[in-house]
Amino acid sequence: MSPALQAAGVSVSFGAVRALQDVDLEVGEGKLVGLIGPNGAGKTTFVDAITGFVQASGSVRLEGREISALPPHRRAHLGLARTWQTIELFDDLTVRENLAVAGGRPSLPESFAEIVFGRQPRAERLAEEVLGLLDLEDIAEELPSNLSQGRRKLVGIARALASKPSLLLLDEPAAGLDTHESLDLGRRLRRLVDGGLPTLLIDHDMGLVLGICDEIYVLDFGKLIARGSPEEVRSNPDVLAAYLGTSAAEVEPDAPGTGTAWAAVAEGTAEQ
Amino acid sequence: MSEPVLSLENVSAGYGQADVIREITLEVHPGEIVTLLGPNGAGKTTTLRVVSGLLKPSRGTVRYQGHDVAHLSPTRRARAGIAHVPEGRGIFFGLTVAEHLRLGYRGETIDPEAVYTYFPALRQLRDRPAGLLSGGEQQMLAVARNLARSPDLLLLDELSLGLAPLLVERLLPVVHDYARERSCGVLLVEQHVPLALQVADRCYVLSHGDLVLHEPAARVRDNPELLVASYLGQSSTTKALAT
Amino acid sequence: MASQIFAYAILGLGSGALIAGTGLGVVLSYRGSGVINLSTGAVAMLSGYCYWALATGEFGVTFPTAWAVVLTLLFSVVVGLAFELGVVRPLRRQPPLAKLVATLGVLLSAQAAIVLAFGNTAHPQPSILPSGVVTLFGVTIPDYNLWMAAIVLAAALLFAAAYRWTRFGIGTRAASENEGYATLYGLSPNRYSMGNTVLMALAMGLVGLLAASIDEVDPITLILLIVPGLAAAMFGRLTGFTTTYVAGVVIGMAESILIYLGGQSWFPTSNGGPLPGIDELLVLLVLIVATFFRAGKIPSRGAIIERRLPRAPRPVAPLRTAAFFVPIAALAMWALPFGFREGLVTSCIFAVSLLSLVVITGYLGQLSLVQLGLAGVAGFLVSHLSTNFGIGFPWAPIIGVLAAAALGVGFGFPALRVRGVQLAVVTLAATVALATFWFSNGSWGAGVLGAPVPPPSLFGFNFGTNASFHGLGGGEPSPLFGWFCLIVLTVVGLLVANLRRSRLGQQMLAVRANERAAAASGVNVRNVKLTGFGIAAGIAGVSGVLLSYSYGSITPKSFSALTAIALVAFVYITGITSVPGGIFGGIIYTGGIFAYALLDWFGLQGNWLNLAVGFLVVLSLVSRPEGGATFLFYGKRPSLWPRASKEPQEGLPAGGAETGGGGQTDGSLRPQHVGVEVTS
Repeated sequence: MSPALQAAGVSVSFGAVRALQDVDLEVGEGKLVGLIGPNGAGKTTFVDAITGFVQASGSVRLEGREISALPPHRRAHLGLARTWQTIELFDDLTVRENLAVAGGRPSLPESFAEIVFGRQPRAERLAEEVLGLLDLEDIAEELPSNLSQGRRKLVGIARALASKPSLLLLDEPAAGLDTHESLDLGRRLRRLVDGGLPTLLIDHDMGLVLGICDEIYVLDFGKLIARGSPEEVRSNPDVLAAYLGTSAAEVEPDAPGTGTAWAAVAEGTAEQ
Repeated sequence: MSEPVLSLENVSAGYGQADVIREITLEVHPGEIVTLLGPNGAGKTTTLRVVSGLLKPSRGTVRYQGHDVAHLSPTRRARAGIAHVPEGRGIFFGLTVAEHLRLGYRGETIDPEAVYTYFPALRQLRDRPAGLLSGGEQQMLAVARNLARSPDLLLLDELSLGLAPLLVERLLPVVHDYARERSCGVLLVEQHVPLALQVADRCYVLSHGDLVLHEPAARVRDNPELLVASYLGQSSTTKALAT
Repeated sequence: MASQIFAYAILGLGSGALIAGTGLGVVLSYRGSGVINLSTGAVAMLSGYCYWALATGEFGVTFPTAWAVVLTLLFSVVVGLAFELGVVRPLRRQPPLAKLVATLGVLLSAQAAIVLAFGNTAHPQPSILPSGVVTLFGVTIPDYNLWMAAIVLAAALLFAAAYRWTRFGIGTRAASENEGYATLYGLSPNRYSMGNTVLMALAMGLVGLLAASIDEVDPITLILLIVPGLAAAMFGRLTGFTTTYVAGVVIGMAESILIYLGGQSWFPTSNGGPLPGIDELLVLLVLIVATFFRAGKIPSRGAIIERRLPRAPRPVAPLRTAAFFVPIAALAMWALPFGFREGLVTSCIFAVSLLSLVVITGYLGQLSLVQLGLAGVAGFLVSHLSTNFGIGFPWAPIIGVLAAAALGVGFGFPALRVRGVQLAVVTLAATVALATFWFSNGSWGAGVLGAPVPPPSLFGFNFGTNASFHGLGGGEPSPLFGWFCLIVLTVVGLLVANLRRSRLGQQMLAVRANERAAAASGVNVRNVKLTGFGIAAGIAGVSGVLLSYSYGSITPKSFSALTAIALVAFVYITGITSVPGGIFGGIIYTGGIFAYALLDWFGLQGNWLNLAVGFLVVLSLVSRPEGGATFLFYGKRPSLWPRASKEPQEGLPAGGAETGGGGQTDGSLRPQHVGVEVTS
């Protein structure tokens, strides 16, 4: 079976700057894969390249199907869903409507019935499930601007889920969340992936990424500098150097302990 | 010890209803370089924006040279001697280097010679639009232009973003010397931790919008594990699980 | 012949200079404050009238020309200051579209003020330029053409030099590139904005003075200079003074050459005269070319924007609302005296027209000024099909509406590429071109007199304005026609309300809010936009059909650019994002029932209403951007409002990573960040 996502040799240039160089990345079925790297390393550019928002070279396969020539909305139809670092909700629509937009495209007769006869669009069962899953039922009729940052982030994820994706790309879902919210988010993500949704997670919260991901890729200056399990990445001197801007000699990798809390979280949710 | 040039007292700020930084208290003294560290998204840039007035705090007090500056616009704060080099370098791509040095508010004149003394390389680039300079040259221009204003408080945001560390290594000593000579307080936000610690006197660490560490820079330099913990989230997550 | 063409080109220098001057005004406004100022022509008109009044003794004192010139320029400065403090400053945090609409309001107010004060007639005035002539290739050319071109050229060069070398100019460039950064340097963007607005007003004062040599002063010619002026400014990417000057002068010369060519035997004619509207088509063409090939490089302003389009509330029970209001209106149609009834009918028709704007601007976020032109297309088709081909109701209206919808989709294609504000500019030119090239054309339009439209009737039953049933109030229009219009309005209103509730409507709002996120959610942005354009154009077509039936004849005057502008201004006051907003816009619209009541009860002409609208637009943009009617119907729910601080400050790239504050992030910013060479 083909992996959920298979990116090979993905490169992106902005003018003379090569923002991404030959990045190979794979998200296997049912896997939670992390993508980390310092600020400006090209992580968001990678998500943009996969989802079709920047001109990129290389190959992108979604469940074996080459999608690199398709426009963003076609990729979305094929099961690619993403969130945004800056959340990017539809501010004029309620939470439920936000999900409905992602939930499906009305056919011509459906639109006709809705507009001419005023038939209400039927509530998508999936959307309702997603609202339940992320505990958002109580705010379904709110406008996004009334919500806290944490809730808005969750709505962003809910909207992505409402499109019934076959692959989820999360761009910094924990940024701006407090420790508690971030922890909560981690539990929910792990549960989602264990429910069978392959996910690529980008975040700066190393605790989160190292704690819940199955595999981690590390970007620096647009190039992959490491790939491996959380343990391997955590003890990789190049990674520490990239992250703290320091050389391995200066910092003893503090392997034991770090991330164990997250491992516990992960196990806890897996048992449920 | 001298009166701080900048002090934040229990400052919280954010966008919309969510606070990005919570209850931040910190001080910068004249002639002192203070670095604000922390992983991305921790609230470092937000803190600088509160100081220069681009963002209003939701709670708390910002004092500059002892005065509460809540009612001062960013323009007024800049004229009062706060220089903020933002993450995007804060220069104008359409203006040449020389034009940057002619730019000024009413009554302000910049001495181009002072700028060229800080970074002689800029002299040859005088007539080049800033948009055509290399990243390092742009950063040089940004720092030089702001030093030439003779600020009493300098806020530097991510000088190293997108640059090779080597370039920043050349910038920071200039900042350091200026701060010492002119008794200018510097608040430095930097991803490149060792660079920051090399020039800084004290160091604050932000994590998820909370101040989690405040130490002399030398001590952190000698005990990097203090940092690794807050960067890799160990301390915060264990704390969270404990409660 | 070549020499004749050359001579005519020189003859066009004068009007070219005026166009160029207007373009310079647009550039100054844009660079100073990011406003696409559609009222520069109106400012020139105010100055022109000021000069006329001073030089001809309108106010009892006749000033010598030199004095009149100086006083007029002083007056321009005052106008500039008022514009800055009354419009630009209060709206500085508003999105570009709102600013543009505000300048439309200013245009409207200025025009109404002049008409109220001095009437609609043109007034002759002394020229300020020497009146010699030169003869070139057998054509006598008045000197003033050369003088005007030279004076405006001097102004253009002066502005260019000031921007290049003075501290004020450098500061303006800095502030317009990034307002946020500018404040960090202690610069005051307000000051630069003020300075540039005053310069703009001075430039337009100059245009008003120079125009005295060419035209008598009237309340429309100078205002409409904005259309070719904008074309020139767009060619200069809204930033280049000399390019704008050259483009403006070339447009003027080309128009003059067209006059020459119009005299040639091979030139297409219409009713014995040369085909009208070729000028306007040319300007439209220039604008389209400029938009497509030059506008991409218009530097977007790093402004700090707090709010975008107001929210579009979801109608709760449109049927129930309609069931309450429609019978009242139906009763009124029957009971009211004919003057009020006529007002109510007109209100219904323009309400339909405004609902088209609700769809395209309120739901889809695209400001189109061509909706009225599309209405005209449907209206004129009805007239033609009826009179020339014997096709009447209902087939002619159906064909007309479909044609309007098709044309609307056609306009949608360029709209896929141009951004909101530029679309407004192009569609304004399209409206002007449609009105002159099509509607005024004697052969396939109406000429100046109007084209007859037989009353609508079905199976021999006449329900036109002249139907025999006169109701309680007596007189025409017949309540039957009123009820017909009311039914149409009700149906269209319900459709538009349902659209907001439908998934297509949700997709439109998603596109309006965030195109990138919409695409990522699987929305086919292109199709949704084109569908929206088609629906809106169809609705506009319906209003055009009603309009053509309402007077028994259809005239180009009903579809003028000024009317199109007024419609947008009115609906912004009542609410561009909701059905009640559109309908109430129709009620207060000039010529509607509210205007008739003002006339009947207080003797106030429609122009007083227009005068007020300019002020009301600015006021409502500042205090109640969702519009009065939207507010009334959907209540005061401040919590539903996006907080001002929520929007990341666009000019400051710091917004991205750490703020996490949602809202609009300009995708184009990204390459700019990293588009910086890294060398070591």
